[in-house]
Amino acid sequence: MKIDSIRRAVRFVGLVLPLTWTGSALGQMQAGANAQSYGVAVTTATVNQKTPSAVLPVEGTMAVDRASDVTVAGLVTAQDVFAIVTGDATDGSDAVSSATLGTVSILNGLITADGVVAMASSTIENSNAEGSSLANLVVNGTQVDDPAPNTRLDLPGVGYVVLNEQIPTSGGITVNMIHVVMQQPVVGVLGGVTGYRTTGEVIVGSASSSVN
Amino acid sequence: MSKLRALAGVTATVAIALVGWSCEAHRTALAPSTGGPLFHFFVFQCSPLKMTGGGRIDYPPGTAEKNPPASHQYETFGAHVMASGQPDPSGTTCLADKGELEWIDHRPEMELNGHPLNLHATAVTFAELAVDTDCSDGAVHWGGTLRVQNTGQENLQFEVWDCDNGEPGNGHDGFAIRVIQPIDGLGDYAVMCPDPDLPPAEPSCTLTGGNRQFHPTH
Repeated sequence: MKIDSIRRAVRFVGLVLPLTWTGSALGQMQAGANAQSYGVAVTTATVNQKTPSAVLPVEGTMAVDRASDVTVAGLVTAQDVFAIVTGDATDGSDAVSSATLGTVSILNGLITADGVVAMASSTIENSNAEGSSLANLVVNGTQVDDPAPNTRLDLPGVGYVVLNEQIPTSGGITVNMIHVVMQQPVVGVLGGVTGYRTTGEVIVGSASSSVN
Repeated sequence: MSKLRALAGVTATVAIALVGWSCEAHRTALAPSTGGPLFHFFVFQCSPLKMTGGGRIDYPPGTAEKNPPASHQYETFGAHVMASGQPDPSGTTCLADKGELEWIDHRPEMELNGHPLNLHATAVTFAELAVDTDCSDGAVHWGGTLRVQNTGQENLQFEVWDCDNGEPGNGHDGFAIRVIQPIDGLGDYAVMCPDPDLPPAEPSCTLTGGNRQFHPTH
């Protein structure tokens, strides 16, 4: 009798448990649209700030955030910043995000621009960064026109910058128009530089979208 | 037999005339009314629909080519609209369930109070399915009222022509907007790109980024 009960319990678990696995697996595979954008993000040992920022709400269709003037820790100033995300999070068919900025100054003028557009767009068929652009971009005194995706320039004494950074993600894309990585040299026991460690990051104009 | 044929011919002629007359009736502009469209696409339907997405237009000229970024001749936006396909009691306006619009015109000549023109919809009141456009996946004419964020000017009526013309959205889809009343400090405002060479004419400007996604139901 006891064995029968145990057998029944094992049978029950054996039949029902896989169903719950299937259910959760299907849940994870459900179509979903995601979009996020922000104007300025700064991450250092003492600062962790992202503003203005918009995230597509669950089962929502749009979110907006804006700021006339942005100043973050003396590292970035920006004017007329808009973050907009749109899409259909319910059926997961599309997502579009954009971040636009007017005048921008990074690291006391080391990098300047007067018009930044980050745009990411995803559907079931494709994802792209079309519509993204940088206007009058000057990096360390040199004008940079229409940089190709993932253009990396060294910033002596600071680190490096990646321009028009485009990162494929699961079912989508992230676009960071100006991504500064601040580094400090690591000095070995003999006094030589053995490497670099990241001390902070600045991202200006970021848009992400994905459809799964 | 010939009488039957003649009767069928007359019936067909009358039917064609009636259909033609009914189509022609939609060409007549509606009298402006609060919350309704000021005029329609040539043929429209009250139908369940949803349009989502956002993007960028480089207007003028509003073609598929981006303007030089330094010219700042571009607009960016996010917008969506939903409708159940219900007409208002008069039967002349297709009611919208809800919608949003955020519109930024980055052109220096459109600045107000030192900032880019920023239009924000406060209500979306109508949405009608357009069926006589060259938008392959769906087109919607919709609108409502908006606020000029730069100045706080309220209750300006607007209308949008919204076109999903396949994938990807850039280079294919279209969007156009017109504000009915003058904007303080700017006057009449519209970003429209009518092309008489495209039958049938509709005023959407081509997206240079982003996507419009038409959903036949919601």
